[in-house]
Amino acid sequence: MPVESAVQNQTPEISIRNLNFYYGKAIALKNINLDIYKGKVTAFIGPSGCGKSTLLRTINRMYDLYPGQYAEGELIVAGKNILDKNVDTIDLRAKVGMVFQKPTPFPMSIYENIAFGVRMHEKLTRNEMDDRVEWALTKAALWNEVKDKLNKPGTGLSGGQQQRLCIARGVAVKPQVLLLDEPTSALDPISTMRIEDLIHELKREFTIAIVTHNMQQAARVSDYTAYMYLGELIEFGKTDELFIKPQDKRTEDYITGRVG
Amino acid sequence: MNEILHVSSQFDEDLSRLRTHVLQMGGLVENQVSAVIDAYASGDPAGVGQILETDRKINALEKTIDDDCAQIIARRQPTASDLRLVFGVTKIVTDLERAGDEAKKIAKGVRRLHAEGVDQRRFAVGVRHIAEAALSMTRQALDAFARLDAPLALSVIRADDAVDIEFKAVLRQLITHMMEDPRTITQALEVMTIARAIERIGDHAKNVSELVVYIAEGRDIRHAKSPMINEHNGGEQ
Amino acid sequence: MNLKLRRKLTNVVALGLSLAAMAFGLFWLIWILWMVFEQGIGALSFDLLVHDTPAPGNVGGLRNAIFGSVIMVGLAMLIATPVAILAGIYLAEYGRRTLLGRVTRFVNDILLSAPSIVIGLFVYAIYVSQVGKFSGLSGAVALALLVIPVVVRTTEDMLVLVPNTLREAAFALGAPKWKVIIMVTLRSAKTGVITGILLALARISGETAPLLFTALSNQFWSTDLSEPMANLPVTIFKYAMSPFADWQQLAWAGVFIITMGVLFLNILARVVFRQQSANH
Repeated sequence: MPVESAVQNQTPEISIRNLNFYYGKAIALKNINLDIYKGKVTAFIGPSGCGKSTLLRTINRMYDLYPGQYAEGELIVAGKNILDKNVDTIDLRAKVGMVFQKPTPFPMSIYENIAFGVRMHEKLTRNEMDDRVEWALTKAALWNEVKDKLNKPGTGLSGGQQQRLCIARGVAVKPQVLLLDEPTSALDPISTMRIEDLIHELKREFTIAIVTHNMQQAARVSDYTAYMYLGELIEFGKTDELFIKPQDKRTEDYITGRVG
Repeated sequence: MNEILHVSSQFDEDLSRLRTHVLQMGGLVENQVSAVIDAYASGDPAGVGQILETDRKINALEKTIDDDCAQIIARRQPTASDLRLVFGVTKIVTDLERAGDEAKKIAKGVRRLHAEGVDQRRFAVGVRHIAEAALSMTRQALDAFARLDAPLALSVIRADDAVDIEFKAVLRQLITHMMEDPRTITQALEVMTIARAIERIGDHAKNVSELVVYIAEGRDIRHAKSPMINEHNGGEQ
Repeated sequence: MNLKLRRKLTNVVALGLSLAAMAFGLFWLIWILWMVFEQGIGALSFDLLVHDTPAPGNVGGLRNAIFGSVIMVGLAMLIATPVAILAGIYLAEYGRRTLLGRVTRFVNDILLSAPSIVIGLFVYAIYVSQVGKFSGLSGAVALALLVIPVVVRTTEDMLVLVPNTLREAAFALGAPKWKVIIMVTLRSAKTGVITGILLALARISGETAPLLFTALSNQFWSTDLSEPMANLPVTIFKYAMSPFADWQQLAWAGVFIITMGVLFLNILARVVFRQQSANH
C-alpha cells in the first residue's frame, strides 16, 4: 500500500522500507513499509503472532541476541540503515530505548536502576548523575513516590511503579525513540491509566512506538495506528480516522471484534 | 453493513436490538405522519386522540434507545462501523422524535380548524402534495437505515430540495389568500403552521438520511454542497 | 455412587501409602540423629578443642582434626568456587546451545554422580603417587573436584531461571554482555548460587573416601599443606573402628560436630534461599 501518501507534513524519525524478517526459515515480517513520525505516538495493533512485537524488536536490533533471526531491507534511524552488520548496537540502543511487557527492575537500588543505563553511554559526576536520576524519575512521574527511598531495591515497588521505573530507566539515557512493548498488559487499570497519561507527556520529547493488545489503548494514546496481520502491514493511518473509518475491511473486522 | 458476526454474540444482540428499536420508533413516526395526512385530508379529527397517544410511545422509545446507546458505549467501546452506528443512532432518534412532534403539531392544528368549522381543503391544495412527499421521504429514510443503503439515502436528500420548493409555492398561495380576503388570515396562518410542520418532517427525513450515509460510509455530508452529496464512492461495508 | 466411593477409596489408599513412605524415611533419619545426639553430647568437652588426637589411653581432643578439616574444606572451596561459577556462567550465558556447552554439561553431570572414592583415587594417581607422599593440599584438590560439578550445576540452573526479559531489558539500555551478566543476571541469581555453594560445602564436610587416598591423616598438629593432614572424617573412621573405648568416644564427638555443622549449613542454605524467594 502507498504508505508515503497516507500521511503528509510529518518528519519521519524512523523509515522502514521493504523490511523482511525471518526466524530461521520462517518469515515473520513481509515487505513492511512504514514511517514512524517524530514526536508522535505510533501504535501497532493486530492479533497475536502478527509480527507487531517482532517489528518493534527489529528497531533496536534486539533480535541480535538470538541466533537464526535476521532482517533484510532498510530501517533508517538518523540517516543510517541500522540493519547493517557494522552498526554499533550499543550506540543504537542509546538512541532507541525499550520498555517491556513485564516490569523488569534490576536487582539493585532504585537509583542504580536509573544510573545503570546512563553509565553505559556517559561519564557523569556524582552531582550530574543525581540530577539525571531526578530528571528521569520526574519525567516518569515517579519522583515524588520514590525520592525518599532511592537506595531501596527497585524490586520492592508495586507493579505500576516498577513499570514507571523501567520507563524512567529508558528515558534517563535520553534516547530519540522509546519502544514500548505492551507496557501495561501486566498492570491494573489505574496503573495503566497512569502510564497512558505518561506516554502523552513523553511524546513532547520522544518519538514513541507502542505495541498493544488493547485496541482501546491504541485509540487512547496514539497519533498514528498500524494494523498488522500475518506479518503484513494491512493499514496505517491517523488514529483519528482509523478507528472511525478504516480503509481496509480486515482492519474494520479486527477493530470491531468480528471473526475474520 | 458488515455481515460478519462479532466474536461477542452478546454484542451482536445488543446492536441488533438497537436497530430493531430504531426501526420500531421509525415505524411509529411513519404511521403518525400518515395518520395526520389522512386527518388533514379528511378534516376529521377523530384520529387525533390516537395520534397524541402514539406520540407518548415515541417519546418513551427515544429514551429507551438513548439508554441502549449509552449502555453499548459504556460496555462495548464500539469502534469503526459499530461506533458510527451507535453515534448515528443517537442523532437519528432526535430527528425521529422531532418529526413525531411535528406530526403532533399538525394533529392539533387539524383539531383547531375542525373546531372552528373551517374546511381547510379550501386552502392550498399543495399542502396535500408536500405531505405525501414528506411521508415518502420518511419511509425511504427508514428503509435506507434498515439496509444502510447510502444511494437510497442520497436520493432522499435530493428529494428534500423539491419539497422545499413546493413549500415556498404553498406559502405564496396562502399569502395570496390572505391578501384577497383578510378574514381568512387566522385560518390561513393555521394552515401555514401545518405546512411548515410538514416541511420540517421532510427536513428530519433528510437529516436521518445524512446520518445513514455517515453510518454506512463514514462520510459526513451535512452542510455539504451538492457535488459532494452526488459523489458516491461506494463504501466497503 | 459406586464411582464416587471408588474415588474416595483410591484417595485414602494413595494417601496412606504416601504417609507410610514418609514415616519410613523420617524413622531412620530421626533414629540416626537421636543416636548422634545421645552418644555425641556425652562425649563433648572443652578438651576436644585444645588437645590433639591422643594415643590410646591418654587424654586428648580433636583439635588437629577439626583444624585440618576446616583448612582443607576452605581451600577446596577457594579453588573450586571461582572455576565452577565461571563454568556455570559459560554454560548458561554463552554456551547454552553450543556443542562445547552440551559436552561440558554432560561431562559435568557424570562428574556430579561420580563416587567420591573414584575422585580420591584419581588425585592419588596423578598427584600423590607422583610426589610420593600424602598431603593436605592433595586432600583439598580432591574435595575441590567434588565441589566443582555441584556449583557448576546450581550456578547454571539459577542463571537459566533468570527471566530473559531481564537480560533483554539490560541489553536494551545498551549494556555489553559481560556487564549484563555481572550487573544483572548474576546478581539476580546471587542467592541461588550462594545456596549451591553452601550445599556443596555441606557435602564435602563429611567426605571420607577422597581424603583416605590424599590427605590421609595425621596424629599430630600440622599446618603444613605438603604433609599429611588430620581431618575429622578419617579420624572418625579410624577411631570408630578401633577397640579402645576412649577413641570410640572421640569418634562420637567428631560425628556430632560434623552432623551439627552439616545441619547448620543446610539450614543456612534454606534461610538464604527463602530470602531470595521473598524478594521476588
